[in-house]
Amino acid sequence: MANEGNASPGPAAIEMSRAGGAVLVVRLSGAWRLADDLPPVADVERELDREGAATVRLEASAVADWDSGLVVFVFGLLTSCRARGIAVEHPQLPGTLERMLALVQGSALPPAPPLPPGGLLDRLGVRALARREKLRAASLFVGETTLALWRMLTGRARFRGQDLGLLLEGAGPSALPIVALVNFLVGIILAFVGITQLRRFGAEYYVADIVGIAVVRDMAALITAIVLAGRSGAAYAAQLATMKVTQEVDALRTLGISPVEFLVVPRVVALTLMMPFLVLFADLMGVLGGAAVGTTMMNQALASYLRQTAHSVTTGDIIGGLVKAATYGALVALTGTARGLQAERSSEQVGVAATQAVVTGIVAIIIACGIYQYVFFLFGL
Amino acid sequence: MAEAILGVRDLTMAFGDRVVMEHLDIRIEPGEIYVVMGGSGCGKSTLLRHMLGLQEPASGEVFYGGESFTRAGASDRERMLRRVGVLYQGSALWTSMTLAENVALPLQQFTKLRPERIREVVELKLALVGLHGFEEYYPWELSGGMQKRAGLARAIALDPEILFIDEPSASLDPPTGRRLDRLILEIRDALHTTVVVVTHDVACILGIGTRALFLDGESRRSIAEGPPGELRVSGPEAVRAFFAGGILP
Repeated sequence: MANEGNASPGPAAIEMSRAGGAVLVVRLSGAWRLADDLPPVADVERELDREGAATVRLEASAVADWDSGLVVFVFGLLTSCRARGIAVEHPQLPGTLERMLALVQGSALPPAPPLPPGGLLDRLGVRALARREKLRAASLFVGETTLALWRMLTGRARFRGQDLGLLLEGAGPSALPIVALVNFLVGIILAFVGITQLRRFGAEYYVADIVGIAVVRDMAALITAIVLAGRSGAAYAAQLATMKVTQEVDALRTLGISPVEFLVVPRVVALTLMMPFLVLFADLMGVLGGAAVGTTMMNQALASYLRQTAHSVTTGDIIGGLVKAATYGALVALTGTARGLQAERSSEQVGVAATQAVVTGIVAIIIACGIYQYVFFLFGL
Repeated sequence: MAEAILGVRDLTMAFGDRVVMEHLDIRIEPGEIYVVMGGSGCGKSTLLRHMLGLQEPASGEVFYGGESFTRAGASDRERMLRRVGVLYQGSALWTSMTLAENVALPLQQFTKLRPERIREVVELKLALVGLHGFEEYYPWELSGGMQKRAGLARAIALDPEILFIDEPSASLDPPTGRRLDRLILEIRDALHTTVVVVTHDVACILGIGTRALFLDGESRRSIAEGPPGELRVSGPEAVRAFFAGGILP
């Protein structure tokens, strides 16, 4: 702490007087501590505006105690006087204050950062350009990933097999409990909704058909993909964004290893391969959820419920569900890794990347689901 | 005898059962630039962490101005740490904040200054370390040396009585390291701050240290204390070898 002087000085004060018409004498006294209510430079500026001066003489011999508060004031006054073309004399400043001022004034002024554009049209233009850049980056990412996948299929991609193994384990078996729970509950919900509606037509017996078809064709894949977007997609984004912050991604690039090959491709492959297996399991859990309601609410025998489900669900339904699952898996991995690699080099951006990965992943899944519905409908599948 | 501004009494540092350093006694006087030196892994940074309460001692105590920091409660520790500024080895700037926001945060949290006054102080502190005009830059837009200086500006935001600096020249080229050393000297002179530096950089130790403590990882003790220039010439063999950059048998 920079302070000099006695133990209990009075409050900071400025006293101004004239020494001849052209010299304004500014006397500082008391304790100039940051924590106190200090007189502003504007007090002196008002006096300069009122009567003007060729020179300001600063006297600080009566300052008893001070810290950065005094330096801020003196520096502000020097800057203000320099801007007005007024000379400043400060013959009696404490030695340490002189040294601080010398340090401050010796600080080189670098080129200022670009100013943000002012007008509405400017801002619109900047946003449009930024959007175009993002679109270009997304296209590049998809293109690079496609090429990297091709290199992987032809055995030319650089990545570690053990990483892929860990990613497969993380995306598949580790996700089984949460996938089982969520899909079992979705089966229960569908069965309740089905029974409530079908009962109006006396057709509640068909709840096994409705639950079976809904789960196998769409719901299992959709729900599992959403769960994985929150689980694996967010994790991928956070991992890659952190690697950007710690310059691990730069290290890969400088080694001549494509981050897309090394980081993105294994994750895309892991989720694309594991999703169909997870969805098969999810199908089973969803049907069991429906069966739990069917057997308890309608007193239907479990074997009868399952037989009816098997009768209504076709192989095409199952294959369609699995194709969707693989697509959703790829989308979750792509959006997660893309968000991670797009992140800026700051810790806050890690969280932003994870959030964006989940949101973008879910939106991509829903859009893909809609497209599949339309295509399947078009071909009568 | 007046109380030391910072002291360590019979301090033993350990990670579980593994003792890093034992029976340390240190007394740091106001205005000193006290250097803790020694080879890699000897416990220099661990000592710093103990002084800052980031790690608890196995035994012994740390004192601030005669008041026990080790035995103090949370609020007293907070009060004592308010007198302290720290420049971390990797600068530890908050990367999601601009330099101005980094320096402003302690002022916003621990003073009742008006925003415009905080802005003035921030500009002053950044100017003190030669970063005037970089207020709106983010840490990742700066070089390593500039990040160190910005970290220093944040460390002195509250006019600390004691400034802790962990490896000031780490990851800096020698000229930038020496410039930072000069800046530390200037800041010490300008703010009347006591500085505790942890380093193994011989040029830094000789350039800025007024007194130095040598921690010996082998014996897990401090084996020498005194002005660096004297230790270099007439210190124990291990210390002279350290200064000479020699390899011990």
